[in-house]
Amino acid sequence: MKDKQKSAKAIRRRTNIIVHMILAILAAIWVFPVLWVIMTSFRGERGSYVSTFFPQTYTLDNYVRLFTDTTILNFPQMFMNTLIIAICSCILSSFYVLSASFCLSRMRFRMRKPYMNMAMILGLFPGFMSMVAVYFILKAVGLTEGSLIRLALILCYSGGAALGFQICKGFFDTMPMALDEAARIDGCTRWQIFTKITLPLSKPVIVYTVLTAFIGPWVDFIFAKVICRANSDQYTVAIGLWKMLEKEYIDSWYTSFAAGAVLISIPIAILFLKLQKYYVDGMSGAVKG
Amino acid sequence: MHRKAVRLAAGLCAASLLLAGCSSSTGGSGAEKIRLMVWSPSEDQSKDSGQWLQTCCENFAALHPEWDITFVYGVADEAGAAGAVSQDPDASADVFMYANDTLTTMTDAGALAKFGGIYAEELKATNSETLLDSITMDGDIYGVPFTTNTWYMFYDKSVFSEEDVKNLDTMLEKGVVSFPFTNSWYLPAFYFGNGCTLFGDGTQEELGADFGGENAVEVTEYLIDLVSNPNFKIDQDGSGLAGLRDGSIQAMFTGSWEAAAIQEILGDNMGVAALPTYTLNGEEKQMYAYAGSKAIGVNTSTKYMKASIELAMYLGSAEAQQLHYELRTVIPCNTELNDVAEIASDPVVQAQNDTFDRTSVLQPFVASMSNCWTPVENMGKGIRNGNITKANAAEQTAAMNDAMNSDGI
Repeated sequence: MKDKQKSAKAIRRRTNIIVHMILAILAAIWVFPVLWVIMTSFRGERGSYVSTFFPQTYTLDNYVRLFTDTTILNFPQMFMNTLIIAICSCILSSFYVLSASFCLSRMRFRMRKPYMNMAMILGLFPGFMSMVAVYFILKAVGLTEGSLIRLALILCYSGGAALGFQICKGFFDTMPMALDEAARIDGCTRWQIFTKITLPLSKPVIVYTVLTAFIGPWVDFIFAKVICRANSDQYTVAIGLWKMLEKEYIDSWYTSFAAGAVLISIPIAILFLKLQKYYVDGMSGAVKG
Repeated sequence: MHRKAVRLAAGLCAASLLLAGCSSSTGGSGAEKIRLMVWSPSEDQSKDSGQWLQTCCENFAALHPEWDITFVYGVADEAGAAGAVSQDPDASADVFMYANDTLTTMTDAGALAKFGGIYAEELKATNSETLLDSITMDGDIYGVPFTTNTWYMFYDKSVFSEEDVKNLDTMLEKGVVSFPFTNSWYLPAFYFGNGCTLFGDGTQEELGADFGGENAVEVTEYLIDLVSNPNFKIDQDGSGLAGLRDGSIQAMFTGSWEAAAIQEILGDNMGVAALPTYTLNGEEKQMYAYAGSKAIGVNTSTKYMKASIELAMYLGSAEAQQLHYELRTVIPCNTELNDVAEIASDPVVQAQNDTFDRTSVLQPFVASMSNCWTPVENMGKGIRNGNITKANAAEQTAAMNDAMNSDGI
């Protein structure tokens, strides 16, 4: 009897060891590119190609250069541009998504079903298909010159946000209607229900919405490239990093490119770590039981 | 009452100020107010490299008092300008720089102005015919060339003598040579050496690519041997420059854009030369690089055509080219300028001009050219990976030629 128990324990232990080894290997493979970029960003030797995995010398110059050598590629300005654009579109699109989801979840109106179908179908097309059309519309409105480009990009990134309501609406649907009804009896308006009842109960999904709304513009390349064109003072980080890999720059800028890549991942990493605990909850539901 | 008077006086003052502002901006000389948008790579506008563009534009404005010009500068490098201009000519620069292989992108969009009359005469007088051919289509000149664009050889003088660098196989006996073997801008050099051609003289699209036949197979076999030579290293992802830096490579093939980095590594030992020959079955064959040019183009939708053309002519003039060379070592192409002693004695200038004149073919820009890149690249990769061997060289060369002559549909 005892022997049997022991062997069951041994088997479990063996399985655990195997599973953990596989997981460790997978984790190493996953972390490997990240680690490599970080090491490259501290590499002392110039150039895009090295024959050793670990850098021979370490230096901080690559980071310093990003912020001091600004005459050809003005990284601080690009960083600020991207930050402004990302924060503004994050606020705008979070508001759009939450409002649209609330309406679709709580109200019944004739266009509700058609709207949801339309959003579904439009969502099947990749966004950059409309890129050139979007460019010409913005040009017609006069938003493609000077610092208005920032506004144009903010509009681009937040304008279509209300089509991505699915997850958020799913979350709101889990909240009992009785809560809203009780609030209405007590004299709440729709807006008050939204701000005083629904939003305080949906922290997880707000966090999720904010995260995705921030990351989208933060990492986007293609829209920024099409809309910025020759206005180098409006470039975002993605365009700047891409420029660093052109044949004229790659040899001297490659390590700074890696440094830039590390820097842009910092805001996302902070945001993610701070909000992580809500992130998973956002996918499940609000009021339970 | 008193207050009213004060207000009136203040109003009058403001009005007179406004009027004064107006009169000064229209100018007494009757100069036409114009706004020109100019695009160039960012180095041309950077303070660290002397603001070539701003300096030249101001000089130009000083030369032309008949125009009161406001310049608007934008950043677009020569390779990327064509895309932006053809996407929306209306909102693009009046004057911009482009690489000649993007010529058709813009002519297809009807965005590139022709240079005729006295301007064409002047261009013909100050540029070599081959150079003008690189920006001429159907007999019309489409810009003002300001530099040539090609690749050649950089080597370590302490390893190779001037005699050695005339032949690739001699070099391989003495030191390690790196070549961008899997890049189809470089690899065709060997095929051109043994009589292969692209589109006849480069403009006869109907003739197609001729990279097949016995002579092409010979080259493929030579390349297979070349890759197995321990002194031959394939240059990819910047490994050539890295090798030069750590001393494992003594010669590489690239262009003026890496000259500064190589100068830093080799110092006084930097040698530059036009392409060498290679020995194929006992015969010396010359390698030929693709050559092109960079030119200043004018947008057809510009509101001020005359001023734009004049500005383009000025930016490509001997004076501007000389300044470009001094500030950024952009190799001049003006024939008069290349006779000036200080420029002619620069080894990089010599090598680039020598390559352009002697060991290059004009890179065709006919539409079918777009089919020619991938098959050649695949040939290079196939040989590197060992999939293409002497046993199947003939068959694989024929396959490459077929692919180059088909639209792939």
